[in-house]
Amino acid sequence: MKEEYKVAGMTCASCAISIETYLKPQKGILEVAVNYPNQSVTISYDENIIPLETIGNKVKEIGFKLILGTKEDTKKEFEALEEKRLATLKKKLIFAAIFSVPIFIMSMFLMGKIPYENWIMMALALPVLFYSGAEFYTIAWKRLKSFSTNMDTLVALSTGIAFLFSVFNTVNPQYFLSKGLVPHVYFESAVIIITLILLGRFFEEKAKSKTSSAIKKLMGLKPKKVTAIRNGEEKVISYDEILKGELIILKPGDKIPVDGKVKKGTSFIDESMISGEPIPVEKMKGSNVFAGTINQKGSLRIIATKIGDETLLSQIIKLVEEAQSSKPAIQKLADKIAGIFVPIVIGLAVVTSVLWYLLGPDPSITYALLTPITVLIIACPCALGLATPTALMVGIGKGAQQGILIKDAQALETAYKIDTLILDKTGTITEGKPKVTDLIWDKNTVSTELEKVVFAIESESEHPIAEAIVAHLKMIDTENVPIDSFTSITGLGAEGTFKNELYRIGNESLMIQKEITIPTELSVKANSLKSEAKTVVYVAHKNRVVGLIAVADKVKETTLAAIEKLQQMGIEIHMLTGDNEQTAKAIANKVGIKNYQANVMPADKGAFVKELQAQGKVVAMAGDGINDSHALAQADVGIAMGSGTDIAMESAGITLMHSDLKQISKAIQLSKATMKTIKQNLFWAFIYNLIVIPIAAGVLFPINGFLLNPMIAGAAMSMSSISVLSNSLRLKNKNIN
Amino acid sequence: MTIVKYKTNIHCGSCIKSVTPVLNNLDNIDLWKVDLEHDDKILEVTLDDEDKNSVVEAVKSAGFEIEEIQ
Repeated sequence: MKEEYKVAGMTCASCAISIETYLKPQKGILEVAVNYPNQSVTISYDENIIPLETIGNKVKEIGFKLILGTKEDTKKEFEALEEKRLATLKKKLIFAAIFSVPIFIMSMFLMGKIPYENWIMMALALPVLFYSGAEFYTIAWKRLKSFSTNMDTLVALSTGIAFLFSVFNTVNPQYFLSKGLVPHVYFESAVIIITLILLGRFFEEKAKSKTSSAIKKLMGLKPKKVTAIRNGEEKVISYDEILKGELIILKPGDKIPVDGKVKKGTSFIDESMISGEPIPVEKMKGSNVFAGTINQKGSLRIIATKIGDETLLSQIIKLVEEAQSSKPAIQKLADKIAGIFVPIVIGLAVVTSVLWYLLGPDPSITYALLTPITVLIIACPCALGLATPTALMVGIGKGAQQGILIKDAQALETAYKIDTLILDKTGTITEGKPKVTDLIWDKNTVSTELEKVVFAIESESEHPIAEAIVAHLKMIDTENVPIDSFTSITGLGAEGTFKNELYRIGNESLMIQKEITIPTELSVKANSLKSEAKTVVYVAHKNRVVGLIAVADKVKETTLAAIEKLQQMGIEIHMLTGDNEQTAKAIANKVGIKNYQANVMPADKGAFVKELQAQGKVVAMAGDGINDSHALAQADVGIAMGSGTDIAMESAGITLMHSDLKQISKAIQLSKATMKTIKQNLFWAFIYNLIVIPIAAGVLFPINGFLLNPMIAGAAMSMSSISVLSNSLRLKNKNIN
Repeated sequence: MTIVKYKTNIHCGSCIKSVTPVLNNLDNIDLWKVDLEHDDKILEVTLDDEDKNSVVEAVKSAGFEIEEIQ
């Protein structure tokens, strides 16, 4: 394949030579000719060995840009279209509501009180049908051409017939009057149906558009400006200008823009969003750093090894996107029913008409015209359209009261089917922050005195574990004392002098290095603390260890009871963590989870969800970090902890405000109750139809001469809507535990 | 620490961009800078060790000419 591309960024002839020399040795590239005056490059290459994208990236690596139609552009265009659709829907809905309300009031309360009322209602109904409801008619028409029906057909047919019949009666009321019948109009039925159905659609679309904001937030983790060293000088450049191999300066608090390797400096980086590890990780020359994580303390110079789409963060973004787009569309139960219901209703109307024409009394032609209309009006899908959205709205509102935020109605529809629950460890099962769990002092030591010294020394230290110790000592009201000196020992701990005596606080290596005696009793205790996945800090006075401080990410108080309850409900629980095997095992044992996996990378979590789904399981995932976002989006029900990252909350369908696992069983109960209400609603939506349609068709006429008045048909229709609404409201008072 | 100077044909901002990754990736380089104003486009490098040749190799791999100035 030989093609010419424009290249941006070439400013001299040497640049051209540079591109040529850089591309030529790449496998799959046969020929490269750079045309400097023309700012273009002609490449002949084998697509199978080296795709165009790779070539583009290679060129970018040395600071130029191959101009191709990018995916970004098409994506942006797509997003703009989606936004426009939602805006149009909103406009149509508001429009419909403004015109429907006066029609409704006129027909319900002011009938016979306003002159020319039919004409006024007709004028008001016209824009609702022809602007707000236009979509229903076009879709129904398209469907008709392929001999299929759905909810739109039912809406189009019932509102269309009600409208045309009403127009006929408005323009020519004499026709029915002359036959001794009242010429009713049904403008209100037509417009109210359209408004309610549009309202339901609007809620649905809004939920959908929220998912894409999760991705936008993830993108927001990339800093806009970056300080780089270019040609020996510090320069502030924008994110897009970062080159592969660029030397980047990171100050405390900076977001890491790329995946890279530390060239200079030491610091602690909060990597909890990637690895789940709650304690910031120390970085020094040669350590790897990842995009999206945050530099805590100290300055670093890093070399960008992976930029743009190649970073771990970008991979996560990609996985979240894939998981969200692969989700099955919301199964519309009502639509499915409508698929059978519509043809039956149409068939019944036709049969009714024919039977009246052939067998009916005089004027048979009038009866043949009127009865099918009554049938169609009574079959209006108003209640059917309300059945699901009202129950969901009440369910979602009830959840919110209890601190369960349901973003995606699909999650509420699915939660009751869950049979497998995956829990992230850090921040979900545990608190997510290191805390002091044990303070153990040597018998012969005065602990209060020592605590003061430890407090003073650790206050000087910048290590995250020291912070946890300081926080704990502050909490137990430890007094601060002035120390004479302080020295930090990188990677090991710190030392300080108080009243001319030397104190050392640090890990086991520090004690070994300084040849400090650890009494057997404390050594045994230290080992037992380590087996509980706790980090042990040794406190030494002169050359003897006098105390131990254990620091760990504590299990939340409510976790144990919540897990037990979920297991009782027959749900299988798995724990996943980026932490090591020992920590994972200790926590899993403590909370009673049999299935656990340690050292899990973000992508593995999503893959594990998929694996369980492939086994036919309905999987819920609960987590709080960016590293969980892919799995949260992939799961049938994603549950985010309210204390977690925004990304997790955006990716999940449900967010627990109290970050309490007990809420999960509540959410499941809520889902059960809501689904029950939806099913009852569907029953109420249909029962009236089933009873009244035959009466509307005139089955009682041969028996007792009764023929349903279309006005009563309309009332029956609204009765079914009222039943559905009140049934949904009943859900509000239901007890959810 | 050794400071070494090289004569090169790195003569514009974009050329700097193309040598940036290769030079930054060299473990023994602490600081480097090209004097674009100078006729000989002098590349000045602060090295941690004596391995001057690694710089020559790196710059050549990016497609530029380089020669150490004695």
